[in-house]
Amino acid sequence: MYLKETTFSHAIQDGLRQSMELDKNVYVFGQLVNYQSGVFGSTTNLVKEFGKDRVQDFPVAESLMTSMSIGLSLEMKKKIVLVHHRIDFMLYSMDAIVNWMSLWKFKSVRDTSLSITIRAIVGKGWGQGPQHSKSFHSWFANLPGIRVAIPSNPYDAKGLLIESIFSKIPTIIIEHRSLYNDSQKIPLEPYRLDFGKANIVRKGKNITIIAIGYLNKLIPGVCDYFKKNYKTEIEHIDIRSLYPLDKKTLIRSAKKTKKVLVLDPSWKSYGASGEIVAIIKETLKDEKLFIDRLCYPDSHTPMSQALEEKYYLNENDIITKIKGMIKK
Amino acid sequence: MKNKLEYASLKKIFNNLLYLRLFEKILSEEYHPADEMKCPVHFCIGQEGVPSILKFFLKKNDYVFSHHRSHGYFFAKSIPMQKLVSELYGKKFGANYGFAGSQDVSYPKKKFYAGAILGGSIGIAVGKALDEKLKKSRNIVIAGFGESACDVGMFWESINYANLKKLPIIFICENNNYSVLSPQKARQSGKKLFQKVSQFSNQNNTISVDGNDVIKMKKVFNNVINKVRNNHGPFFIEAKTYRISGHVGPETDDAQDYRSKAEVNKWKKKCPIKKLEKYLLDNKIINNTYSKNLEHKFKLEIRKMIKFAQKDKFISKINLERANYDFTKFRNKKIKTLRPYNYKINISNKTIVGY
Repeated sequence: MYLKETTFSHAIQDGLRQSMELDKNVYVFGQLVNYQSGVFGSTTNLVKEFGKDRVQDFPVAESLMTSMSIGLSLEMKKKIVLVHHRIDFMLYSMDAIVNWMSLWKFKSVRDTSLSITIRAIVGKGWGQGPQHSKSFHSWFANLPGIRVAIPSNPYDAKGLLIESIFSKIPTIIIEHRSLYNDSQKIPLEPYRLDFGKANIVRKGKNITIIAIGYLNKLIPGVCDYFKKNYKTEIEHIDIRSLYPLDKKTLIRSAKKTKKVLVLDPSWKSYGASGEIVAIIKETLKDEKLFIDRLCYPDSHTPMSQALEEKYYLNENDIITKIKGMIKK
Repeated sequence: MKNKLEYASLKKIFNNLLYLRLFEKILSEEYHPADEMKCPVHFCIGQEGVPSILKFFLKKNDYVFSHHRSHGYFFAKSIPMQKLVSELYGKKFGANYGFAGSQDVSYPKKKFYAGAILGGSIGIAVGKALDEKLKKSRNIVIAGFGESACDVGMFWESINYANLKKLPIIFICENNNYSVLSPQKARQSGKKLFQKVSQFSNQNNTISVDGNDVIKMKKVFNNVINKVRNNHGPFFIEAKTYRISGHVGPETDDAQDYRSKAEVNKWKKKCPIKKLEKYLLDNKIINNTYSKNLEHKFKLEIRKMIKFAQKDKFISKINLERANYDFTKFRNKKIKTLRPYNYKINISNKTIVGY
């Protein structure tokens, strides 16, 4: 297998381009997808190769765009990819997603399923502020009939995207924009990665860290720090898809280490972190099990850099938390 | 000769009207006190005109997307009505095996879909129309809804886009003047609907018709359907009609005092069926016993369907969590399935600036 150093945004572009090459029924819709800037590079040049029918710019009508994707994929031939510059904008399509798309398979039972992939980008930094940086992964993971993936690296971004395009379950892929310039050696050829399989990034026996999305970026440094200074081996698990969730891997690790920290790049209340804690607790019922979580405060994102630093999690927050856990 | 054909068509449409009226009437009589259909039902008594005409014109591969008052549109796609009756009873033979009910019923094999959130299905219909356009087919898509759906932003987004891309879709607004109880003038401003919609195109592609005048509507639909089938682009038809039944269920909601008795009676007199029947009688296309005989035949058919549905079983074994997902995949030999792998990541600290 030939590996090539590829950025996150280029891995997505690669996944789209290869899917479109392999199947003429793959279509991409989204505001500005056919311009050179190509949604931070993730759709650049696609229109040159596949034409304006298959790579379509769309009016500022997110609600209609998402509804239309249902009609387009009804005959189970066309595979539709929708791109939203921010997940915040995508909320105009809540009716289409919640009231129609998610239950389409359910209510027509055996007869139709939809092949729709929604790429939604979450901003962070440079003053993105409260309307450009919210991350709603747990909202959508709560919804039956929808899958939610949240890749943390170029390898996953490409593989999960291709898997989603060639599947029959509507899928929302949440992309943290702060990952777009990260790069990695990934296979050049097209490949798919299964949903519902967490990635054990590093094995360890003392503490488990379960991280969602871009927060995975912070963990290798934390692991090194504790290995060096505390001789503590941390097991790092990247969740990769929130629904379906790889419960087995999480539970197996928690059973082994008995100390678990869940990191969720979103609000604490009623979120994904709470769900993961509940699943582990319900299953293990072990009194010695210590489980904690780190999330954003239950607040909207401030704009200024000084306040942003207070809002977002950093390595030090995680290190402090784990120091506390070691003493328990 | 031309007249003969025309009369034969009108007779067919008359049969449709009568069938639909009886279907709704008998089901609404059966609804209470039997209480076996435990399913919200929006009857379309008084609004049979549009669906009866569509049934006459639509072809097998044309799509229909309907609002919650779905029975007429279901009928318009010539789906076996037993499928609908059984669905109302929530039984196994139902169009969706009892998963959807009256307002969410669909029948993909015959290209029919309904849904209860106003405006939502219009956007889906536009997507289907784009699909047909991309395929360069001659199929058309019907989006059927009431004037209340025109309160919704999705409707205007759809009108804009369908005109922008010249999609093969007919927007049919059955204007019955009420959103449950609230009249149109309490909700919408400015010019008449078809006038407002006409602003989205330079072509003359909107029209308002009397939705209870079937003879006039037949001409309009014939013309519009032909145009849309031949790449004319979208069309908007406003058919003014009236719901004699209550908003939901078999009971009248007139006690809500939202419309006067005089108003209801005025529209009862404008009944689309009576009007067409008179025309056919006057022109001696049908005789005095025609309707009665037909009524008798239809009633037997419909009662038989109800009995069948009552005896049918419910789906019992079902894994509800799995029912929401289709786990099969599109296979492609050129795509390998790989496993998670920890290639080293080079983290960039460069902030992405810009839109």
